[in-house]
Amino acid sequence: MTGYLLRRVLGALVVLLALSVLVYALFYLAPGDPARLACGPRCNPEQIAQVRDQLGLNDPVHVQYAHFLQSLVAGHDYSTGTGVQHCAAPCLGRSYQNDLPVTDLIVQRLPATVSLALGAMVLWLLLGVGAGLLSALRRGGITERLVTWLVLAGAATPVFITGLMLLMVFCAQLEWLPFPSYVPLTEDPEQWAWNLLLPWLALALLESAKYARLTRSSVLEALAEDHIRTFRAYGVSERSLVLRHALRAALPPVIALTAVDLGTMLGGAMLTETLFGLPGIGQLIVQATRTVDLPVVVGVVLVTGAAVVLANILADVLHAVTDRRAALR
Amino acid sequence: MRQPTALSRRIAVAVVTAALVGGAAACGPEKNGAGASGGGGAGGTPHKGGTLTVLNRAPQKTFDPARLYTSGGGNIPSLVYRTLTTRNRENGAEGTKVVPDLATDTGTPSNDATVWTFRLKDGLTYEDGTPITAADIKYGVERSFAPELSGGAPYLRDWLTGGDTYQGPYKEKKGLDAIETPDEKTIVFHLRKSEGDFPFLATSTQFTPVPKDRDTGLKYAEHPVSSGPYKVVKNDNDGEHLLLERNPHWSEETDKERHAYPDRIDVRSGLDPAVINQRLAGGQGADAAAVTTDTNLGPAELAKVSTDKQLSARVGTGHFGYTNYLAFNPKSKPFDDPRVRQAVAYAINRTSVINAAGGSSLAEPATTFLPNQKSFGHTPSDPFPAGATGNADKAKELLKEAGYGDGLEITLTHSTAQDFETGPDIATAVQAALKPAGITVKLRGLEDKDYDEKTHSLAQQPDFFLAHWGADWPSGGPFLAPVFDGRQIVKEGSNYNYARLDDPAVNDEIDAINKITDHAEAARRWGALDRKIGEQALTVPLFHPVYKRLFGKDVKNVVISDWTGVLDVSQVAVK
Repeated sequence: MTGYLLRRVLGALVVLLALSVLVYALFYLAPGDPARLACGPRCNPEQIAQVRDQLGLNDPVHVQYAHFLQSLVAGHDYSTGTGVQHCAAPCLGRSYQNDLPVTDLIVQRLPATVSLALGAMVLWLLLGVGAGLLSALRRGGITERLVTWLVLAGAATPVFITGLMLLMVFCAQLEWLPFPSYVPLTEDPEQWAWNLLLPWLALALLESAKYARLTRSSVLEALAEDHIRTFRAYGVSERSLVLRHALRAALPPVIALTAVDLGTMLGGAMLTETLFGLPGIGQLIVQATRTVDLPVVVGVVLVTGAAVVLANILADVLHAVTDRRAALR
Repeated sequence: MRQPTALSRRIAVAVVTAALVGGAAACGPEKNGAGASGGGGAGGTPHKGGTLTVLNRAPQKTFDPARLYTSGGGNIPSLVYRTLTTRNRENGAEGTKVVPDLATDTGTPSNDATVWTFRLKDGLTYEDGTPITAADIKYGVERSFAPELSGGAPYLRDWLTGGDTYQGPYKEKKGLDAIETPDEKTIVFHLRKSEGDFPFLATSTQFTPVPKDRDTGLKYAEHPVSSGPYKVVKNDNDGEHLLLERNPHWSEETDKERHAYPDRIDVRSGLDPAVINQRLAGGQGADAAAVTTDTNLGPAELAKVSTDKQLSARVGTGHFGYTNYLAFNPKSKPFDDPRVRQAVAYAINRTSVINAAGGSSLAEPATTFLPNQKSFGHTPSDPFPAGATGNADKAKELLKEAGYGDGLEITLTHSTAQDFETGPDIATAVQAALKPAGITVKLRGLEDKDYDEKTHSLAQQPDFFLAHWGADWPSGGPFLAPVFDGRQIVKEGSNYNYARLDDPAVNDEIDAINKITDHAEAARRWGALDRKIGEQALTVPLFHPVYKRLFGKDVKNVVISDWTGVLDVSQVAVK
């Protein structure tokens, strides 16, 4: 197990390194001059040159990249004009647009993204697994068709439409919920939950479809197994069969998929965050891309990449733990 | 990566417009009988207290006075930063006047307007009660030259003697000799050339005092020292959530412009425009006392709102000096022939372009480059009179004279951004509008940043494209000079003189007007210059946008000046 984990972590580091090289390369191919954008709308060439120098953009690309890696490993000292600010390792650099440390920008926005992802995950598991289980048990009946239809409708509707509809119904018409405005969990847990309920629901409706399908097929597959038939012949109740045996068999792929989806969500659900005005990672990368803010883009891509890679490792481990037939090699 | 996409935005607007009326219906009768007139103006007697919520799309990024690029000191920034002068906080045209703020008057010029002297009022203090001095204003201006604090307007660098080489107080501790502070209350600015508009420039946040011993450089934006009616108590995610509370040391006695009725101002940004308008319409909880300073009602939303009396009473109308136009490169074929440019000017059907921009409620036809406001010196004229729908026959005649009797094929470059300025909707309308004159327009869409870069680069500038220009203050100077002064052609960097006009007569007239310190007289001369340049058909003005902003049902004392065109948060009351 330890050897496996070490190999996976090393592999993850290689992937992240490759990702950072790729983002740097793409960035320099994309239109837009970060110095001009950072300088403001009507800078003269001398001012732009000063800002370019200030941002270190005069160095060749490979030198800039080397500085980035160096900061990542050893940290970096930055001038604030009136003093020096130390950016501790792993230092992801400073934003071209507002000179704030990228690490701080990401850390400030993580709580909103983590809150959104975790809450949505709980909901999509409840909805998805529940719907999958129900349609497996009511196979061929009206319930299955209804659940399938609802699940497909949820999956086929873009999140910005689902989100707007939820806002319209629950906030504007019924006035049951406030228009979401992020409240940190540490500040007011109750308001945190109320304000995130609709974003969670919007994401969960989108995500739960694949969980419903996966759960349904896994449960049906499990119910057709020989040992289930044997249990049934011995008089084990249907409820016990489903909950203790079929569902357990269906769980490993669901857990694996959840880990991967959670990793992706931690990279920011851009549309959902934008629509509901949640100050998360997704909003950050959208803004950074618009303003050609390379350090922020690279920082977010690395954090997102790390979340996805770690989630994949976690998925493999959980798969092995929940299904002992699977071995970690 | 841009989100939401064009389609999603349109669908979102459609869904929300459907909700706007329904949502409003659920709100019940208005509490205070708010009603917006031409320039805003919700009724009811304003009182102090309460919390005003500001729902915005764009965050208040880099909230450092040196780095902000504002018109008249901005809206939210002006609550925290007082400046030497400021804009007159009144509705409509009255609001285009410049008035004293920290200074006792709008400045005393030397005979040729190259030296400007300001004297500070008595009793001015920061949020901690310490006095504001002239040296602090000098330091505030000097910081804006630091490359670390880039982002502000270019005028100080161009106007102040020695400003073109000064690197700011962090690198050059000696300071800028062009700014003198003979005593604690007097500040003198020495300019390279005559600038009658200096009092307008002194409204920008770079003229706010910054105490040197509390300057934290790049980190200053996190906790700036307030000189205005509010102080920053929270600045999360670089201006995404800004919480302002009353500054106990601000004195209404010294500040006649800002009313500062609410106790707190809670600025929430990063919101979807459709959601902002939905929240303002619904007015649930804190949203009843909410406004927006950056989100317009779109055409579909406006159409729905107009059918609801309660909602339409909560719509403020604003005008900001701005012109959307067609830009040519008159140095390249076929636009080097004035008859071709004139033909386009005659052929254009402004009605169809205005319809594409959202209709007559959101855009007014433009036949002059200067905005249709008196303060700019607007003199109604139309050098190529062709009516609202164009004169195709006259255009054909001119094209025939120019050797294009069989028709003309040209390419119009536009941005792919889904806006009502340079986007595909306007481009398509121009394409259709020129067709009856035998002008076939091919469209070339460029990604937003690519479009921005190419149109501002002399080497890459397209020959014919959609452009726009807005004023840094309501005067003809910042409107005409960057676009038509030959000395402002920027070879390497951001160029706005797209026509590459370098006419000594025009340049001399700009210099002559800049010497005038009487704004009314200067405006008259700017208007005459605009007409003279207009006759050359170097641009085809299309329309001046109109801003329609929804505000919450508990909002009182709505003031929308023609300087900013948006609701002034320093005047709003929520009680």
